[in-house]
Amino acid sequence: MNSEAAPAMNRPSPIDADEAALIRAAQKGDHEAFERLVHAYDRGVLQIAMNLLRSPDDAHDIYQEAFLRVFKNLHLFRLDSSFSTWLYRIVTNLCLDQMRKRKTRREESSIVETEDGPRDRLDTVAEGRELGDPQRSLISRQLRSRINRVLDELTDKERLVFELRHYQGMRLRAIGETLGTSEEAAKMCLFRATQKMRVALGDFV
Amino acid sequence: MNCESARKSTALFLYGELTIEEEQAFQDHIESCADCGREFETQKRLQAALNRNEAAVDPALLVRSRRELALRLENARMRRAGLGDWLRRLSDLRIAVLARPAAALALVALGFFGARLTAPGNAERRDGTESGVTRVRYLEPGPSGRVQLVVDETRQRTISGSVDDDQIRRLLLAAARESTDAGLRAESMDVLKAERSAGELRPVLLYALQHDSNPGVRLKALDALKPYGGEADVRAALTQVLLSDDNPGVRAQAIDLLVEHKGGMTAGVLQEVVQKESNSYVRLRCQRALEEMNASVGTF
Repeated sequence: MNSEAAPAMNRPSPIDADEAALIRAAQKGDHEAFERLVHAYDRGVLQIAMNLLRSPDDAHDIYQEAFLRVFKNLHLFRLDSSFSTWLYRIVTNLCLDQMRKRKTRREESSIVETEDGPRDRLDTVAEGRELGDPQRSLISRQLRSRINRVLDELTDKERLVFELRHYQGMRLRAIGETLGTSEEAAKMCLFRATQKMRVALGDFV
Repeated sequence: MNCESARKSTALFLYGELTIEEEQAFQDHIESCADCGREFETQKRLQAALNRNEAAVDPALLVRSRRELALRLENARMRRAGLGDWLRRLSDLRIAVLARPAAALALVALGFFGARLTAPGNAERRDGTESGVTRVRYLEPGPSGRVQLVVDETRQRTISGSVDDDQIRRLLLAAARESTDAGLRAESMDVLKAERSAGELRPVLLYALQHDSNPGVRLKALDALKPYGGEADVRAALTQVLLSDDNPGVRAQAIDLLVEHKGGMTAGVLQEVVQKESNSYVRLRCQRALEEMNASVGTF
């Protein structure tokens, strides 16, 4: 495989012995085991929710709801399936619901007032790596604004597949399982998402 | 591989989603086709730009989320343990009038000792018996092998002194407000209650009464608020508790305190509770209070 793939984070893997033991203990009511299970995945959960929803409050709500659902339904989880796939399915479904609610209600204006004047709401969210140089920072901000606009124009499914592949480093097969679709369908979604971004941003990079 | 297939494969190559044979064919093509090679370089830059666009997760958000989840899990476990159901069944026994004070006391005791038995915070005390405990809550890998850690540190130190002492009082207030150990929250309130300078304590008690997840702690807060039962903010909190607290023991105590310092709205609130109340003991307690006030039971 080539070495230029996006960085892998929280990649789902087949359940290992340690994780299986943790899950078993948590299923029997061991609080500490459940906490360790949460801590093994919760940064990834917040990261997915932040990337998809770009709101710390929404990400916080998704975090709470996702892990409460895991807590309530852990006794139903079978150890022959992947815990991370199950968890990310819960998280992506919750994010999807939130994204749909936003679209339906159009509750949030995309433009907000800031000290620097009106700006796209998405641009006000801190980026991963800030640049010190003001000139570069400006270019970075403009690029970020365009990226966010394109991400917003992707279909929900394209957005989820792109998020899970690009930022979470999940393989397309695992993404298919998480979203309840085939690997081939996930591949097509990723292809369409990257094509749209290539068209909208290609001249800018 | 021709140019059209190569264009379609570029992103998948960068994501490592081609088979070994497809990768080989793609690499062979871009080495021999300048246009497709340029396209490959453009998409590489695009991916780098997208990497930089990842939203930052503030470590404080992670800590806040973990704390709130711990509280919500504690609540869920208590509900699962059926403590609430048990209390409801106990009070549904339609205890005779003479036995009511004893029943109310039993509810208080159950709430309090239940809090001590069910609170997971015992671990907090266990940790404290060591001379120093450091727990990594979050880590962020950085360049050149550096790493940033957010740690919780616990160091045991014995402090003794009068409750009047500023430092002692500050620590007790913090324990009453923030400790994860429900028993410790309740005990801190108890000690501070005896100290009688309620200026700082009252907001802590009011908050605990309305928001603490543990019924034993809510009862303790309610008990500590007794001297201020005539104050408007306390009465507003009691009304809120009476209408929304899910624990009948807490609701019953709230009635007693409201009635003890009758205000203009007391009868109206009690009438509303009689209409809505599902617990027979609390409903009877309300009816009795209305009778003592010569007020009608219904709202008409």
